[in-house]
Amino acid sequence: MTGDDYILQADRLHKSFGRRAARVHVLRGLDLSVRRGEFLAVMGPSGCGKSTLLHVIGLMTPCDAGRIVMNGSPVAPSENARNAIRRTQIGFIFQRFNLLGVLSAAHNVEVSLKVRGLRADGRARELFEAMGISHVMHRRPGQMSIGEQQRVAVVRALAHRPAIVLADEPTGNLDSDNADALLDLFRKINLRENQTIVMITHSAEAAGRADRVVHMKDGRIID
Amino acid sequence: MPGLFREYGKMVYLPLANILQHKLRSALSVFGIAIGICMLVTLSGLSRGSFNEVADRWESVDADLIVYPRGLGDGAITSSGAILSDRYAGMIRAEHAKIVQRVVPVFLYPVRLGGQDQLASGVDPADFDALTAGGRLAEGRLFDPHGKFAAWLENELSKDSGKIFDPSQEQLAKPGRSGLELVIDSRLARAGKYRLNDTVTVAGHKWKIVGIVPTGAMSRVFLPRRAAQFLFDDGNIARSTLLFVKLRDGVAPSDAAADIKATIRQEVVPLEHYRQMLMSKIGVMFTYVDIVNAIALVIAFLFIMTTLYMTVLQRTREIAILRSCGASNEFILRQVLQESAILAALGAAGGVGMSFAATWAIETFKPLLTVTITWEWIAIALGAAATGSILSGLYPAWRATRVDMAEALSLE
Ligand SMILES: Nc1ncnc2c1ncn2[C@@H]1O[C@H](COP(=O)(O)OP(=O)(O)O)[C@@H](O)[C@H]1O
Ligand SMILES: [Mg+2]
Repeated sequence: MTGDDYILQADRLHKSFGRRAARVHVLRGLDLSVRRGEFLAVMGPSGCGKSTLLHVIGLMTPCDAGRIVMNGSPVAPSENARNAIRRTQIGFIFQRFNLLGVLSAAHNVEVSLKVRGLRADGRARELFEAMGISHVMHRRPGQMSIGEQQRVAVVRALAHRPAIVLADEPTGNLDSDNADALLDLFRKINLRENQTIVMITHSAEAAGRADRVVHMKDGRIID
Repeated sequence: MPGLFREYGKMVYLPLANILQHKLRSALSVFGIAIGICMLVTLSGLSRGSFNEVADRWESVDADLIVYPRGLGDGAITSSGAILSDRYAGMIRAEHAKIVQRVVPVFLYPVRLGGQDQLASGVDPADFDALTAGGRLAEGRLFDPHGKFAAWLENELSKDSGKIFDPSQEQLAKPGRSGLELVIDSRLARAGKYRLNDTVTVAGHKWKIVGIVPTGAMSRVFLPRRAAQFLFDDGNIARSTLLFVKLRDGVAPSDAAADIKATIRQEVVPLEHYRQMLMSKIGVMFTYVDIVNAIALVIAFLFIMTTLYMTVLQRTREIAILRSCGASNEFILRQVLQESAILAALGAAGGVGMSFAATWAIETFKPLLTVTITWEWIAIALGAAATGSILSGLYPAWRATRVDMAEALSLE
């Protein structure tokens, strides 16, 4: 298999927080490869470093050591370089949605596109329709159900056609019906658009919907 | 650029959305700036307007030179009382008849009228026209128009020289001798609600208002010079405050000033220097006013800065979301600075509006004050608002770029 088949390759990632006695070594030489078009689930106990992993491979936080290759090119550790890749290649979905409360759903998507130097095109509208939430487009997050809010977050994560979508416990705040619906959507996008998705979850049921499941323990991936 | 969803109409604009989200806080920031701007425009308009109003009135005098006692420097300009012997008037008339057309002695005396201090001019009836653009009265007549009172007073004083003549108030006000009379200008009449033939108490004596001159005359209060000298210089009628000298046509004021100065050895300055001398005497007032204004503005912007800083702290999650979308530092800076700029722009506009309202209020309730709002000061205020908005936005904006997105976004 050549490197081109991988959208993301992370080698020997290290990340720790705090100093001296308070130091927590969270990622300890972690390796992770994600294939193009793969729907990957990452499982692990609470506090094992799943979110940290996501922040590092999502280029929000620099790693202390290790190498990340995104879409075939090694990522320079500088903030600007990470920022530029995040802008074009990555879409995030968070457990607590993280929508901008002052903006409508449509504007939440539009502002994300604006930040990325893009204009809204028909895709955003299609996504709203595909997610079944066209009716909340002009509502603010506070005026939506949590299931609707999470689907707006999905639209936002997909609207700019990222190479990879990183989702941190996206069903963690949803009831089982909404969780099911969301996982169906992930599956659908993954199949229809060959969208690569890395989903962190500690629900075995959610993980069961993915192509592949990896487990995290002691700061490493154990398959 | 069309919005994402055209039917939605409005373009997404975060700074405005944030301002609208916190209406009260934004309104308070805007109000703070508006007050600062209003103070700047109104107070500078008040100090400069009042200054110019006085200078304009003095410049309206039909004269070319002012003669002051020597040694007073620029202070001469605001002196009053009996400080210059009247014999200089005679000397100038006698020795400079070729260049001098007219010499007008004036006795200035501070009085309180219309709830405000006024510098009253004691002037001879014959010279009244020089100080009042031709002597035209809007109402009534000139005090002691035929000089009867002055003649009576001089006669009384000459009767037994050496003995101090002390006419009582009753004597001074005796019918047939005109009594004590004065003339005011129409602005003072309006401000103090004075009417013709009202009796007012000025400098401890009762005076009757016999005439009203249109606004713009040198003083707001005119007294008969002899009476003023007698009452305010211990029964003496030999000294005044200054002389106005009107030159013959074609005589250069600066040359004439030098000539006259050489013979009388007193200070002689062209009338056109008055404004400048007044400025050097009281110009420091403008500095004080400007300092107070600057402080008010700084406080207003510190308030904005605190507000923006609070907003940034409260919005770390929002900022982190933008950063997670790849927003550059410039983008984040721009959001905060634009928010600051909008608040400042609204505040500046409100402040300019408020200063027109304040001017109206001042001139309505304190009609003797002059507020002149100039475009120059409006421009200065707007410039200050623009600078202030950038300066007060910078630190909060910089803080916004420092937000740790991983931490802010994973808080449960
Ligand atoms: N910014 C941080 N500063 C200090 N410690 C952190 C920080 N982020 C995470 N940690 C620590 O790293 C460990 C892993 O956290 P996290 O990645 O959130 O775990 P998970 O998502 O698997 O529950 C935890 O012990 C947590 O306390
Ligand atoms: Mg987590």
